[in-house]
Amino acid sequence: MEPSELERFEALVLPHLSAAYRLARYLTRNDADAEDVVQEACLRALKYFGGFRGDGASQSRAWLLTIVRNMAHTWRGRRRADASTSEFDETVHTQAMTDEHQDALLSAGDARETLAHALERLPPDFREVIVLREIEGLSYKEISEVVDVPVGTVMSRLSRARQRLQDALTGSGKEL
Amino acid sequence: MSHPDVEAQVDVYLDGELAASEAVELEAHLAGCASCGRFRDDRLALRRAIAARMPRLEAPELLRARVRAALREAAAPARARRPSPFLAWRWLAFAASLAAVAVGSWRLAVLRTESASLADEVLASHVRSLMPGHLNDVVSSDQHTVKPWFNGKLDFSPPVHDFSGRGYPLLGGRLDYLGGRPVAALVYGRRQHVINVFLWPGAGAGGMAPPVARRGYHLLHWATPDLDYWVASDLGLAELTDFAGLLRLGDSAAAASER
Repeated sequence: MEPSELERFEALVLPHLSAAYRLARYLTRNDADAEDVVQEACLRALKYFGGFRGDGASQSRAWLLTIVRNMAHTWRGRRRADASTSEFDETVHTQAMTDEHQDALLSAGDARETLAHALERLPPDFREVIVLREIEGLSYKEISEVVDVPVGTVMSRLSRARQRLQDALTGSGKEL
Repeated sequence: MSHPDVEAQVDVYLDGELAASEAVELEAHLAGCASCGRFRDDRLALRRAIAARMPRLEAPELLRARVRAALREAAAPARARRPSPFLAWRWLAFAASLAAVAVGSWRLAVLRTESASLADEVLASHVRSLMPGHLNDVVSSDQHTVKPWFNGKLDFSPPVHDFSGRGYPLLGGRLDYLGGRPVAALVYGRRQHVINVFLWPGAGAGGMAPPVARRGYHLLHWATPDLDYWVASDLGLAELTDFAGLLRLGDSAAAASER
């Protein structure tokens, strides 16, 4: 690769490194893994940079986040294959976890912790749309490209994810 | 009573993705329906909570440095495999040695050749240290943590400073292996750049060698009466020289106070 091509890549992609790190951090829930995911994603992005046709900041951001997202899912698959670190099945256990931990969290009185924990406990499909929408401010269309599902699915996942977060915040899954 | 269809629209509306005509209808409904109005208020509260409380993390500086180093490594192979720059460098060393012999200083030639291969080792070690998890064995910005960490691991105690006041914070240290012996590697930072300082007890050759620039990295080398130093970084030469100056000053002050 020519040095000028590397410079073009760095100018286009590195400004989104923090966005990439945030997404990776929320998906892996671990600093060290997030950093490895980001680095691998950047190397992969460099490899396929020749095929990237966008030039705007939002296009390059969505492009990098797509790669980070896929890399994080690959990472989860690897973790799951590793029996010693098997991840619990979130879709099955999240509700039970929520109920069980909610009282303790709320009595600690730290709403910031509660919200962060609630987000970490969301299934990855829900977690990623919340991060992309609420923290990165991506449009539905951009999210549908990053996550590779139809816009309608983005909407319903966002809606259900928000309901779970709201239940966690108010400390009740029943009233609403 | 609640209206699930309307509630589904509220999120889309608040996300600014609802078509204008539908938005007008929805607003009219929200104005008259207490249940849907509460739903909207709850969602607004959740948004505010997320905006106010979710940590907006920034990529750590070291990650930035690591990624940039990895990108350069990945982009470099095509160039690195071309033998010409390396050969040119060797040839220059050889030419220098011829010149040295011509002026009767055979020893200089030996030193140059030694330092050429050592420069390769230093650069390789610097690049390797930027790979995930390789930078530090002891992570601390406190010189009184880093310096004692080397006790029992080396046969000398490296001087450790924290120049964070001058913009070169201490990041940690590790053991490394250069020129056939274990050496101390101290890690300092400068913005997103990482500086590796390699040092070990030397033969006291003295003085500052000319800087070496290779593959986007700069290497500085000097020796005090006690220690041999190599400094490696992707930092600009001016700043790296500035840092080397601080280091030489700090270490000579430390050596003086020990005597």
